[in-house]
Amino acid sequence: MEVLFEAARDAAAALQAAGFEVELHQPNLPVYAPEGESKRLAKKHKEEDPVHEWRGDPYLALKDRSRLLELCRFLRDELGYEVLMDATAVDFDAEDEHLWGVYQFLSVGRKRRLSLKTFIPKADCRVDSVTAVYPAADWHEREASEMFGVEYLGHPDPRHILLPDDWVGHPLRKDYQYPDEYHGISCK
Amino acid sequence: MSAALPPAAAAPQGNGLTELLGGLLPDGLPFWALALTGAVVSFAIIFAFIAVLAMFATWLERKVAGHIQVRYGPMRTGAWHGWAQALADGVKLLIKEDLVLTSADKPLFKLAPMVVLSTALAAFVALPFGPNAIVADLDLGIYFIIAISSITTFGVIMAGWGSNNKWSLYGAMREAAQVASYEIPLGLSLMMPVMYFGSLSLNHAGAMQSGWYGMHWYVFSDAFWIAIPSFALFFTAALAETKRAPFDLPESESELVAGFHTEYSGIRFAFFFMEEYAAMYLMSAVGTALWFGAWNFPGLSLLEGTVLHAPLAVAAFVTKSLLLVFVMMWVRWTVPRIRIDQVMALGYKYLTPLCLLMILLAASWEWVKAIAFGA
Amino acid sequence: MANSTKDPALRAGERLVELDVRTQDVEINMGPQHPATHGVLRVLLRADGEILTGAQSHLGYLHRCAEKIGEKVDWLQYLPYTDRYDYLSAMNNNLAYSLAVEKLLGVEAPERAQFIRVILAELNRIASHLVAVGTYGMDIGAFTPFFYALRERELLLDIFEKICGARLTYSYIRPGGLMNDAPAGWLEQVKAFTELFDKKWGEYWDLLVDSKIFVERTANVGVVSEELALAWGCSGPMLRGSGVDWDLRRDAPHLVYDRLDFEVIVGRGYRGTVGDCFDRNYVRMYEMVQSNRMIRQCLEQIEDGEVQHPDVGLLLRPAPGEAYVGIENPRGELGHYLVSDGSKIARRLRVRGPSFCNLAVAEHLLPGCMLADAAAIIGSVDIVIGETDR
Repeated sequence: MEVLFEAARDAAAALQAAGFEVELHQPNLPVYAPEGESKRLAKKHKEEDPVHEWRGDPYLALKDRSRLLELCRFLRDELGYEVLMDATAVDFDAEDEHLWGVYQFLSVGRKRRLSLKTFIPKADCRVDSVTAVYPAADWHEREASEMFGVEYLGHPDPRHILLPDDWVGHPLRKDYQYPDEYHGISCK
Repeated sequence: MSAALPPAAAAPQGNGLTELLGGLLPDGLPFWALALTGAVVSFAIIFAFIAVLAMFATWLERKVAGHIQVRYGPMRTGAWHGWAQALADGVKLLIKEDLVLTSADKPLFKLAPMVVLSTALAAFVALPFGPNAIVADLDLGIYFIIAISSITTFGVIMAGWGSNNKWSLYGAMREAAQVASYEIPLGLSLMMPVMYFGSLSLNHAGAMQSGWYGMHWYVFSDAFWIAIPSFALFFTAALAETKRAPFDLPESESELVAGFHTEYSGIRFAFFFMEEYAAMYLMSAVGTALWFGAWNFPGLSLLEGTVLHAPLAVAAFVTKSLLLVFVMMWVRWTVPRIRIDQVMALGYKYLTPLCLLMILLAASWEWVKAIAFGA
Repeated sequence: MANSTKDPALRAGERLVELDVRTQDVEINMGPQHPATHGVLRVLLRADGEILTGAQSHLGYLHRCAEKIGEKVDWLQYLPYTDRYDYLSAMNNNLAYSLAVEKLLGVEAPERAQFIRVILAELNRIASHLVAVGTYGMDIGAFTPFFYALRERELLLDIFEKICGARLTYSYIRPGGLMNDAPAGWLEQVKAFTELFDKKWGEYWDLLVDSKIFVERTANVGVVSEELALAWGCSGPMLRGSGVDWDLRRDAPHLVYDRLDFEVIVGRGYRGTVGDCFDRNYVRMYEMVQSNRMIRQCLEQIEDGEVQHPDVGLLLRPAPGEAYVGIENPRGELGHYLVSDGSKIARRLRVRGPSFCNLAVAEHLLPGCMLADAAAIIGSVDIVIGETDR
């Protein structure tokens, strides 16, 4: 855990020094839950919405998504995160105006991980593809694209990957409506 | 040549079958009737032999594979070790629907298994099963066998093209390339025993090896140091010629699905299957006839003239050949498959030059013997 | 011997000659029903005779919407679905998911549970690598090693059956610990297996890996350089085979791995180039030995105790937040990225399957190889379609 916090702090400092507007988000709950925590949280969950106490990995949030590719290049070349482990999107709530684009980086040389989050407005669901820096993003972005409807600009091969080519809709969006049928096959 | 022939087996004349038929049929028949009867009877015998052989060999293959792979193989069909499994498979293949693809080239598709099987049958004509137990004792027996068995390739290419399937086509093209390449080392490797025996007739080769109370086999002869490596060359080329692993590229399962017979089912598939085992047996039989003393085994000559002689000779020949078939199976279930470029390289860069070298050595040895012993 | 993949310049030269005589490429579908694609992968190959000029993977034939299901069922109900991504290493999948959920729950499994988890994960790694090496032999055309490998895997499945009742889809490792404690005699059975396995391991080596033909078929074929492996996010034996010294068990210690003494096996070009099919297979072979070592150490160190965290019941309510946890599966890093809002159902459950990422690089290795190498390369990546398609 400590390694993760340290990596996130270092990366945030380095990125801010390089002129990127990133925010460091750190969890405010203890790593190991004290007794009775879940009950307290559940109660709080009913009363206030959303809950601002959270646990998990620290992450960097990039507000301006147009600098994503540049930031990735900086991460790879300057900070030594040579592997993109995962790239995906999250639709937290149907009401939200933004999707999250979530990227997990790994530095094999320095044994560090880093989590990066950027925000993609649903109204203008486009973001730069990072395949130019990390070829690994190729299939991950294809998957996120078909599942969330994100258009990755500059992606070399933007076909569907897991879904059929003629599938309509983006199944992992929270407002996704199940189709009644697909080529005469009932989906209900 | 080197060893003086024992008088009993000297230069076998005529052939057992025609003599037998000549005795059974009424006198005065025209020649064509005799020839036709001979052809039909010999076809029936060979076909029955191949059918039984294929069944036995499939069963054997499955048992060998099973035991090599820490399992038993078929155990249930029939009472003893699943002996009836091959029979049941045969019946199943016979009653299966005869599928011909609508997109296939139908004449080629249907003709291919026939061509393949009939050439395999034809090659058996020149094979001696015992002294005089040969359908046609051709002077050019070895030449005939090599020539006829390479026609199989045409059948395979027809099957590959006619199936209208790219995998089949790949299999057929590989077969064409591979068999054409391995004809050369195969033919050359046969030259060593041919030089030793001084004859292309398999029957003659068998008779020449009956000395030393049936142990004067080519591999035990004075030229054993040529015989053993030349047999290794022959056996390797024969594996490639019969498309057996590690040279089973034309039907390599993990690459080409099933190669040239991907689209075949039922009895047509069975024909390809029979051909494979017939070809394996044929190559093993040629190897036995030339290197391992054909039908001779110690003590056989003591039975000369008794009624047991001929059946025992045939049994010895078939047993020895099946042992070689067993070795082929053993190899198949042990080694991985070679890639096509490696197959080609092995054939042209290693086997062929080695065969040429062995021919040189064999010829020199005959020459040395001729000078030293004045034979 | 002319090696098809070794010299790209030579390949280009040959190609020019062929273009001169106007040959036409063949397009062939390898799969979705093909014996060498280990399931329903479809690779569209373009070939100029025996030489491949292009390849494109088509996935999705086994897509079962695991991530969508994860947003519909509660945290524990999702556990059986993890069994089904990489069905050859279901224990590891359970473990990866459980660790991720535990991170959000803020709990750690008791020590005995951690030892049993490591034993199971490593046993499952052996079982998975046995299948990988065995089926790889089949891809190369050797059928027999597969049966030898399955002989020992059978014993492993018996061990798993004894501890959880299932032979393939276990759902045994759970958030907070284990389903139940190991039954009496189970640890002795594991010990007996580790001793037997040491004796049997040499059989696969002699029969398959050390065979001349196997080396000819795999050495210098499908070379993934270190840069390529890192750029494409490869992990597991695929990454280590390319010479990258990276293993999450050592470099991101979790459970009790830091108390065990083991080596990370790295490809060094043992029979050819670093990162060829032989190296990947070599890594798998020797990882089995190392896993066996770890299991033996665990058996020495394990003590009696609880196997389930007292606070974790059947209905889980992790704290709000998000966590990415990746562990070293037999095929590479299996990552779970979980987003929770504090309710009993996940907001987002992302699965990063190692086969998915390792396969992505495979289609870039194929052009220039022979058709037979396609089977060898795809086999050496060791994919499980259940995981690529999820």
